[in-house]
Amino acid sequence: MTANITGNTARDATAADGTRQTAGTRGTSVVLHDLSRAFGATKALDGLSIDMAPGELVALLGPSGCGKTTALRIVAGFEIADTGSVLVDGKDISSVPAAKRDMGMVFQSYSLFPNMTALDNVAFGLRMRKIGTGDRRKRANELLEMVGLAPQAKQYPHQLSGGQQQRVALARALAIEPRVLLLDEPLSALDAKVRLQLREQIRTLQQRLGTTTLFVTHDQEEALSMADRVGVMSHGKLEQIAAPDELYDKPATAFVAEFVGIMNRVPGELHSGGTVTALDKTVPVMNQDADVSPGPADVLVRPEGLTMAVIENGNGIVATRTFLGSVTRVGVLLSGDVTVQVDKPSTDAAALAPGTSVQVTLPPEPVLVAPRR
Amino acid sequence: MAASGAPGSLADPGAPGSGPDIVSGSSARLTFPHAVRWLRRILGVVPFAVYVTLGLLLPMVAVTIGAFEKDNGGFTLSNVNAATHGIYLHGFWQSIILSAVSSVVPAILGLILAYAIFTAKRGNVLRQVTITASGVFANFGGVPLAFLFIASLGSTGLLTHWLQNIGIDLYAHGFTLYSLIGVIVVYFYFQIPLMVLVILPALEGLRPAWREAAENMGARSWDYWRFVGGPVLLPAFLGCVLLLFGSALSAYATAEALTNGTIPLTAIQIGSFLNGNVIAGQENVGKALGLGMVIIIAIAMLIYTVLQRRVAKWLR
Amino acid sequence: MAAIADTQVVPAPPRRTARPRADRGAVWRWVVLLVAAVYFLLPLLVAFRFAGIKSFGSVLSQSGFTSSLGLSVRLAIVTTVIEIVLMLPTAIYIHLRLPGLRRLMEGITILPIVIPPVVLIVGVLQISPGALKNTPYLLALEYVILAMPFAYRAIDAGLRALDLKTIVEASNSLGAGWLNTLMRVLLPNLTTGVLAAVVLTVALVLGEYTMASLALYQTFPVWIYVNSQYSGQISVAASLLSLLVTWLFLMAITMIGTRRSRRKGGGAVTLFTATRQETRGN
Repeated sequence: MTANITGNTARDATAADGTRQTAGTRGTSVVLHDLSRAFGATKALDGLSIDMAPGELVALLGPSGCGKTTALRIVAGFEIADTGSVLVDGKDISSVPAAKRDMGMVFQSYSLFPNMTALDNVAFGLRMRKIGTGDRRKRANELLEMVGLAPQAKQYPHQLSGGQQQRVALARALAIEPRVLLLDEPLSALDAKVRLQLREQIRTLQQRLGTTTLFVTHDQEEALSMADRVGVMSHGKLEQIAAPDELYDKPATAFVAEFVGIMNRVPGELHSGGTVTALDKTVPVMNQDADVSPGPADVLVRPEGLTMAVIENGNGIVATRTFLGSVTRVGVLLSGDVTVQVDKPSTDAAALAPGTSVQVTLPPEPVLVAPRR
Repeated sequence: MAASGAPGSLADPGAPGSGPDIVSGSSARLTFPHAVRWLRRILGVVPFAVYVTLGLLLPMVAVTIGAFEKDNGGFTLSNVNAATHGIYLHGFWQSIILSAVSSVVPAILGLILAYAIFTAKRGNVLRQVTITASGVFANFGGVPLAFLFIASLGSTGLLTHWLQNIGIDLYAHGFTLYSLIGVIVVYFYFQIPLMVLVILPALEGLRPAWREAAENMGARSWDYWRFVGGPVLLPAFLGCVLLLFGSALSAYATAEALTNGTIPLTAIQIGSFLNGNVIAGQENVGKALGLGMVIIIAIAMLIYTVLQRRVAKWLR
Repeated sequence: MAAIADTQVVPAPPRRTARPRADRGAVWRWVVLLVAAVYFLLPLLVAFRFAGIKSFGSVLSQSGFTSSLGLSVRLAIVTTVIEIVLMLPTAIYIHLRLPGLRRLMEGITILPIVIPPVVLIVGVLQISPGALKNTPYLLALEYVILAMPFAYRAIDAGLRALDLKTIVEASNSLGAGWLNTLMRVLLPNLTTGVLAAVVLTVALVLGEYTMASLALYQTFPVWIYVNSQYSGQISVAASLLSLLVTWLFLMAITMIGTRRSRRKGGGAVTLFTATRQETRGN
């Protein structure tokens, strides 16, 4: 096993093109254990625990103020948790200063050193590790190649666009072959198109290198498309952490259900015994341990989950139609002033003019319930 | 001022983030409608331009012309000649030395003080107090300041007296407030606050993300300052040094009140011309001296503006 | 769920971890501030001692005190009015219509700090018409120039904290003309900047000696100097008083400014900077 560019022989050998042997038995595991942090009276983090497998990309998703960035900064070493610890490969690094944690971080924006060229920026971490000039330059150039910015090596940050700057920042973070990659909403400040391109690029690179990655974002599409697992946070607590499809199909709480994707709320009647009646149908309840007592409750169901048929004197009237491409979102006004969104293939939806009477029903599968709003 | 390169291209320096710093609309071309449009746009600053011309430029021009005039009109170089020799030359040198020391040292001290204020964690009240104090002290010069120091560190000053009581006799060791050294010490009193005021915006331009990114890359404090903080701050710092230099060079009242003209300093020498202590035939030498000062400062200002432009580019 | 069977995880007991690095610099910082405080406050204290309490009382009854102070105050008022009327619209105009000239403005407004007032007054006296030379208000006109750096910067800081273009456009789209926009939209949002400019201008006028003495007018600082030949103590007392009053003024402005700014979700306001409030991380 040869020492790689950072002189660390305890790591995997790297193949010539910079890829690592796939995660398998190596790579870094990261454990966040019961992290809590309060700023004055506000609890930014409340007992957050996450086990990250080697090579995994975990996204922390949530609205502003949910604590996700605080969690990331604690892992990076820029904040200290009030209680709890962070373990990397089993070792507690809570007292290790940020500069010695060997993690690469990409900030939200404008973190490139303005007085250095792209190349010097990328090489900076290597310089701190006392790598010689020649090797440094070579490695930095390799990384700029990897992110597709080799021609811009001699340019200064203010000469680069936002997307280019973030790619340089990514290259800089990866140049030191970090054990963990930390990304703090790196795409938020970018144009939609650039965002999509960069999303793919980050994910591809991350998988190729097998670096354990923690990615913070408020954009659910980003999280769902990039991550191996997504942790949804609210008010400092982790509501659910699961693979994207599980999060979407089996949300654990009403918050997760409504944050990820679109959810309809239909008034219904909850019975003791784990069933609920809504839209003239009785179905089992998915979240039996929800904080709802028998009686009036809201049923949460996805637009593609509701069935709708054209019928005389149905329980609803078509109010709006929103064309979304292959699918059309139909807004139906039910009795009691409740509106639901139902997704239909656009070819079928063409026949549903506003004013058409329809019957909307629940699917025969278990549904989520939440307290009546 | 047109942007270099087409907007949206890599070469457009306005691209990342901040609003483009260009005159909105097309650059002025010399066709009639464009010229008219350009003129109308300039209209808003005409009052200001007029005022500055009348109040600042014209007097300067008058001084410049006067420097080359004989007492009864006509061109001469004798004023300039007199101004660059003898006691006046000595005055220039003294002034330059005084200004150099009173700019470099307070610049460094001011930077340290500004940084201490800026990074204080619970610092808001502290910051406000210090900044307002700086605003006051930066303007506090001249006679009142001189008196303050005479009352403290003059030969019969209270502080001198107290120090004598505990065995430190300043004046016995050759120190006197009424010398160049004394003037320099007094100048610190308004130069340091001026430095604090002017360097703070530059410090605020140091993004915390840079510090954190550097740390994340394994840099220690020293590394950060050496590779990022220092280089970014340096042009602003040098600019401030030049600003302080100009400020010290033009200070009149403080030195006058302290020394009563015993030390040759250009500013004071000019003042004595206005007071009427002149030799016949040399009335306009004062203006030549003034011109000399302005030239020195003009050079300093030029360097200052160039440096500031460079800094602005990086900090965008 | 990913298997972590390989790693031995020993959960650490909950505890407070090491002090953040930033705190270790705290000692150094306080030393610097202490030394600075001593250097700046000691002469004031000593001067206070020197003057003696009685002097402060006698200051008011000295001959020439009221007339010179009155002159300085009148000059301050005239200067301030001209300064604001000149600089405020200009600054707004530059920000709005000619942002490219901002650098140039900053350069020009720096000039008065470095152009020796001594030289300036020579030139001014030369070119002023006789009628102007005979009134002290000639000084006010020049003081406007001297105060420009501070006034412009204070107003500029206030402007920078606003998204000027957007609110002006919004105001116009709702039907407000320029005057209305200025009075109802801009001024209320610029009060701190304008106030700071006012106070700095007043501070400058009340302390300006060079030009006044060379133009042979007895303003307050000139009076202090002249009077010092009779009573040093009273002069020192007067100097301290003017310093104190100016400082109190500025403190009041900054505190009022910060309170108003915080109410609107802004950050702390200082004389030349108005920061946006840092949002707490997510």
